[in-house]
Amino acid sequence: MNAPDRYERFVVPEGTKKVSYERDTKIVNAASLTVEREDHTIGNILRMQLHRDPNVLFAGYKLPHPLQYKIIVRIHTTSQSSPTQAYTQVVDDLDKELLHLKKAFEDEKNRLEGKPFY
Amino acid sequence: MPKVSALDMPDVPMGQLPEHLQLQRTRVVCKADAPIHTEAIQYSGAYASMGVDNSLQLESFCNNFKIEVIRLTEDEIEFDMIGIDASLANAFRRILIAEVPTMAIEKVLMVNNTSVIADEVLAHRLGLIPLNADPSLFEYLSENDSPNERNTIVYKLDVSCKKGGPRMTVKSDQLKWLPSGSELEMTPPNQSAKPKSYTSFSCSQDSMPEFSKKPLGVKHEDIIIAKLGPGQAIELEAHAVKGIGKVHAKWSPVSTAWYRMLPEVVLLKDIKGDDAEKLVKKCPVNVFDIEDLGNGEKKAVVSKPRACTLCRECIRGVNEELVELRRVKDHFIFTIESAGALPPEVLFTEAVKILEDKCDRVISDLS
Repeated sequence: MNAPDRYERFVVPEGTKKVSYERDTKIVNAASLTVEREDHTIGNILRMQLHRDPNVLFAGYKLPHPLQYKIIVRIHTTSQSSPTQAYTQVVDDLDKELLHLKKAFEDEKNRLEGKPFY
Repeated sequence: MPKVSALDMPDVPMGQLPEHLQLQRTRVVCKADAPIHTEAIQYSGAYASMGVDNSLQLESFCNNFKIEVIRLTEDEIEFDMIGIDASLANAFRRILIAEVPTMAIEKVLMVNNTSVIADEVLAHRLGLIPLNADPSLFEYLSENDSPNERNTIVYKLDVSCKKGGPRMTVKSDQLKWLPSGSELEMTPPNQSAKPKSYTSFSCSQDSMPEFSKKPLGVKHEDIIIAKLGPGQAIELEAHAVKGIGKVHAKWSPVSTAWYRMLPEVVLLKDIKGDDAEKLVKKCPVNVFDIEDLGNGEKKAVVSKPRACTLCRECIRGVNEELVELRRVKDHFIFTIESAGALPPEVLFTEAVKILEDKCDRVISDLS
């Protein structure tokens, strides 16, 4: 009865930014990024990839409430890099990894084209 | 003896992890009560004191990543992905189930329904029928668009059971595709105006080259929609649109998609003779096999570790110290069963494209 519409899970309403950023006033090189209308699918991957960056000291994500469709990603870095820099670098790396994965899958698929299986 | 740092002692390999740590990092050990070492040690500085760099560079991913297709049929694909993390595998599974678009019936215009199935139940059943339409040829229909040949498929169902005749079953092959759009007319606001149709098709869909090769029907002809008794009739028109599984499960393109980690079964001690026979009999999927040594002795070996279903029969009771069941953390066996609209290998490529789009949308435009 009070449930929001299902399209709210992925349609960003007018006027809201997809990604917004808040610096932490008490800790240097720390920030919280709020990504609207996303869920664990992208949150867990961002967290995993952030952990692999040697400049990142802390990385985590949470969904504040299952009926509010946004994630908050918290990043602390060393002084050699900044949270926004780490985040942009990480998403770029993910893009390249996915391109490579897609190419590997297509190559394997083409290698087996025409060969009967099973 | 001169003082030497513990890390420089000869039997501690520098730059390389000792075996037990390598096991902890790359394998999940399934013990009799619960699995251990399940967390992925991704923190780049985790082994800094040993001199081992745990951070992942892009080149090492590209060098170590592999995909092997095991089985490919018209409806199902089973392939191995080696070298990716669990969160990526889970993301692909989630996207395959919920975010790859398909076509499904959304609006049903009822003209006549005298069957025992209520209108809304019939409409619900029609929505769940898988359609043989390629969703990439269509656009999404939003609220202010009018339905036209680029975003709607129109079907008609017109069946009746003769009075005095036997009961009949309405199957999905009786849904007829109307390539020229809706045949029903809306009542115009004033009497003299021309009646408007529910869809505004500017050209017939079967004149378009994409659809002339393969008519847009239902995937399976024998799905029972309703049953009619003598004298009952159903006449309706159904409009199918593009959508994703997140909004309603009828738009999910897979019957299901799942993954499991590659099993690894290790015999910690040699098992010979009668014990070997007992072990081979215990396993319901024949993971173990007997190897005959020269002088009449029999030894148990692991012949098909991939078939292991983790029933833990082999470690129940006495055998806890003899067999170790493990899972490889970065080797995933993916199975995708398509519901029929798109072939399974195309579905996976679409899922990767959707994840790439998500990454692009999530990149910050603040800096």
